[in-house]
Amino acid sequence: MPPFGGSVPSSYGSNSSNSSDSNIITIDVGGQLFQTTKQTLALAGPDSLFARVSEPPISSSHHSVPFVDRDPELFSVFLSLLRTGNLPSKARVFDIQDLIFESRFYGVEDLLINSVSNPSQFEAYNLERSAILSMNGRDSPSAIVTTPFGSVHVAHGSKITSFDWSLRKKRTILTQFAAVDSMLAISPSVVAAGATDFSGLQILDLENGSVKKTLSWENVTRSSSTVQAIGSNQESLFVSFESGRRNSNSIVVYDLHSLRPVTEIAHNEIYGAEINSAIPATKLNWVSGNSLLMASGSHSGPSGVSGNIKFWDVRSGNIVWELKENVDCFSDVTVSDNLSSMFKVGVNSGEVFFADLRNLGAENPWVCLGDGRIAYNGKKEGVGCKIESHGSQVFCSKAGDIELWSEVAMGSVKNSEDELGERVFRKNLMGKMKDMGGSRITNLAFGGNKMFVTRKDQQSVEVWQSSSGGF
Amino acid sequence: MKVSLKFHLPLSHLSSHPLMEDPNPQTASTNARMKLNVGGKLFETTVSTLHSGGPDSLLSALSNRPTGDANSIFIDRDPEIFSVLLSLLRSNRLPSTARRFSKQELADEALYYGIESRLKSAVSPPSLCGIDASIVATIRPTSDGFVSAFTSGDGDGSVWIAHGGQISSYDWNLLHTGTVRTHLEEITSICRVYSELAALGSDSAAGLHFYDFSGNRNVGSVHWRDPSDPRIFKARVSAIADSTDSVFAAFYCPHKENSILVIDKSTLQVQSELGRYTGGSAKNLVPGKLTWLPETGLLFGSSITCGAFGFSGYIRLWDPRSGKVVWEMNEPGSGRSGRGGGPFSAVDVDAEESSIFKVCSKSGDLGMADLRNLGDDPWVYLQESNPSLRVTVTCGAFGFSGYIRLWDPRSGKVVWEMNEPGSGRSGRFGDPFSAVDVDAEESSIFKVCSKSGDLGMADLRNLGDDPWVYLQESNPSLRVTGGVGGYSVIHCYKKQVFVGRDGSLEVWSRVENGKVEREKENGVCEGLYRRNFVDRLEDSERGIIEKIEGGGDRLFVCRRESEGIEVWESSNSSTVVSVL
Repeated sequence: MPPFGGSVPSSYGSNSSNSSDSNIITIDVGGQLFQTTKQTLALAGPDSLFARVSEPPISSSHHSVPFVDRDPELFSVFLSLLRTGNLPSKARVFDIQDLIFESRFYGVEDLLINSVSNPSQFEAYNLERSAILSMNGRDSPSAIVTTPFGSVHVAHGSKITSFDWSLRKKRTILTQFAAVDSMLAISPSVVAAGATDFSGLQILDLENGSVKKTLSWENVTRSSSTVQAIGSNQESLFVSFESGRRNSNSIVVYDLHSLRPVTEIAHNEIYGAEINSAIPATKLNWVSGNSLLMASGSHSGPSGVSGNIKFWDVRSGNIVWELKENVDCFSDVTVSDNLSSMFKVGVNSGEVFFADLRNLGAENPWVCLGDGRIAYNGKKEGVGCKIESHGSQVFCSKAGDIELWSEVAMGSVKNSEDELGERVFRKNLMGKMKDMGGSRITNLAFGGNKMFVTRKDQQSVEVWQSSSGGF
Repeated sequence: MKVSLKFHLPLSHLSSHPLMEDPNPQTASTNARMKLNVGGKLFETTVSTLHSGGPDSLLSALSNRPTGDANSIFIDRDPEIFSVLLSLLRSNRLPSTARRFSKQELADEALYYGIESRLKSAVSPPSLCGIDASIVATIRPTSDGFVSAFTSGDGDGSVWIAHGGQISSYDWNLLHTGTVRTHLEEITSICRVYSELAALGSDSAAGLHFYDFSGNRNVGSVHWRDPSDPRIFKARVSAIADSTDSVFAAFYCPHKENSILVIDKSTLQVQSELGRYTGGSAKNLVPGKLTWLPETGLLFGSSITCGAFGFSGYIRLWDPRSGKVVWEMNEPGSGRSGRGGGPFSAVDVDAEESSIFKVCSKSGDLGMADLRNLGDDPWVYLQESNPSLRVTVTCGAFGFSGYIRLWDPRSGKVVWEMNEPGSGRSGRFGDPFSAVDVDAEESSIFKVCSKSGDLGMADLRNLGDDPWVYLQESNPSLRVTGGVGGYSVIHCYKKQVFVGRDGSLEVWSRVENGKVEREKENGVCEGLYRRNFVDRLEDSERGIIEKIEGGGDRLFVCRRESEGIEVWESSNSSTVVSVL
């Protein structure tokens, strides 16, 4: 970034062809003159208005000053943004809506998003409950999905409300679902939505509420199937289907762009009382470190909750690792690439466990991160707990509270030759005293520099944000 | 030589003429720069920006003046408001700095500069979408706040409110523009005949009266008279509708003789009479609702009464040219349809969609009939498949709570279950029962509400999500309903059906995509409409909804025993509440 380019003699060397005179650009915005350099304006990208201003047509007379009929104060904010890469503090005088609208005029919205809602600004230790996004009507959110720069789609009842990255604009569409149970963002305005009581996965355009495509899976008896879970990686969309009569299930892999089926893995037809195969995957996570698909599902029976976690090699269609969960089965499970571990909440104990993915295939990989005194008294402490990983942290909800688990880097631990050193995880309760408690948490999602939380019977979404990054 | 450049939003526009050399700086070319001195502050803009306010605006007129290079035009107004309006002209939206000024200030200043239409388009709410609407304001007239009638006319979101013999007018900005005191003590029906002319009727005084808003006076009255029939006297007006050249008013006499008069809009004289009924039975009572259907040129009228044996009434379609009834439907009918025993408690017609909608008094179902295809039993019933709307049990620890369950002893299962405090769809939310009993002979459950002391009744053969029917004895004004069943009102607007059941407001909206394939599949419209609540639980506790009417992109809701009317709008802006 050359903030002084061309303005002082020292820059003569850096600009070989241009003289310092022509390197300085003067713009008249709404009657106020601004001076900057070509290099600064070029940072806005070739399609922006700034780039066009910096290239005066050859035919023009040399002393003409380009005139932009816009508000000069807003322009000065964007000039500062170009110069420093950050929004100046005087930008807080303006409403973010004004800045967004003006940034679209100048063609620098991406820069604005980058400086305000960048995923790299996510500070797990610095999050606090900062805002409540309320939804109209009487339905509480059933599913929530985010995009990397912090726009969020909330399914409540038969409706999906999308908020833009600034959370100031919203749009609501009506779907055919009675309630959406699983959702995945394919692009900022397209989501895949499915429900456990509705046949088929719908690709919905959130701009106009239309169904772009319906993906469905049929078993041998040609019965309709419901959607149990959706997952994705860079090029594929994974959908866990269960047939309407609940006697077969499958995971179908679609091409994320063409939405054509690629392959089908984990097809189970249930005959007899083999309970394990009757469990459809209710959560699909892509483990990019190992290029595996983690599919997990559980089933509550008279003898307690049992489930399984399977790691699939999607290309070959083989199970690489299967974990049967019979004792203290997971209530929710997630995987963290940064920590190369998977985490679960035990349904009976309510404790957080971790398993190192570096020793794949171990017999009982789970290490309890709680106090370890697990009393199997039939209580179900962990029912309804959610666990999600984001960055290098793991977030676990217990009733109305959120625990933040992070790994402590222990420099003193000796690196034994064949055994991995013992890993240390510690937890913190998130939020101030006044934010703790409340209704049971039903969803956790992360996008941009924010965390989104929904709670039972609340027609709203909580936004947790670090105090410094907020606008 | 003055060279200027104007950037438009589509950037390609810039490259098409990258720099325009102004051939003659003295004349105002559209890209020429303009200097304005507003209240001492200098602004620089282009002629085309100023022109965008419209050809008749003050700014356009000023920009057409030949100016010297150095001189700026001086306008002796507040510069801060001008900067807001200049932003509006430049970007077509109001900047956030506009919040520093009141709506009135902005509107006045926009009027001064002649750019009111631009302000109007920038501040108008987006199109009304019932699944995503929230209450934005409550209009409360300063005196006699109880609203007896209102009409939203002109389709720009303005509303006229009748309260205590006065009519107050609120413009598109919901700003109070004037109040007219009429000679009537209570106005119970109002219709906007012209943009400044209101037609008024009253339950307590005879005649239809026309009031002119600009002149603030009565400009005419119409009475139903028939020298040959002594029973026709002191005829009052129960409903008014208008077409482009006629006003239709339903008159009724003290002894229930009734008729609809067609009044010529230009002369304000009676043109003709549409039918005359004795009013002897529910089938020929005066209509309580009249709606003009411009597409077919028919007049829709409906009447609903509630007697000891439940709801009864009719729906009729008249052709005013011939004066004949084109189609007629009486309820309770002959029982051909599945809901034969469940007559409607509210009805409305949607002129845009050519459909009639009704709310069944017993089941609470929504029925729909296609105007283009009316037969013996045109009703199609819309069903909601969302189970979460059926059972939402939140058992509170405060006050009375409990449940009623019906077990099937053969299977040992719970067939039907009712918890209290329940889902709160009825006006009795927060009023759980204090005593309950079941009458096996009558197949009914009775309950006594712990707070109000009301008696609730539910039919065992017809148990739904809200089976309770409250029996009231106190209300003597059983004009339309009030004896049995929840009070419901229904209003069709912008292809959506808004239903007020007691205090709660719900909307039935079309699912666009399901339509085609589903209609092909089974020929009925089940699943075509989806029901959602517009309001929140706390909204429904403000009182029973008496009237719903849409106007512009607003929905106006009037509640019994509460002052003023509520304004509901959709918004593109989210409601973010900071909790830091």
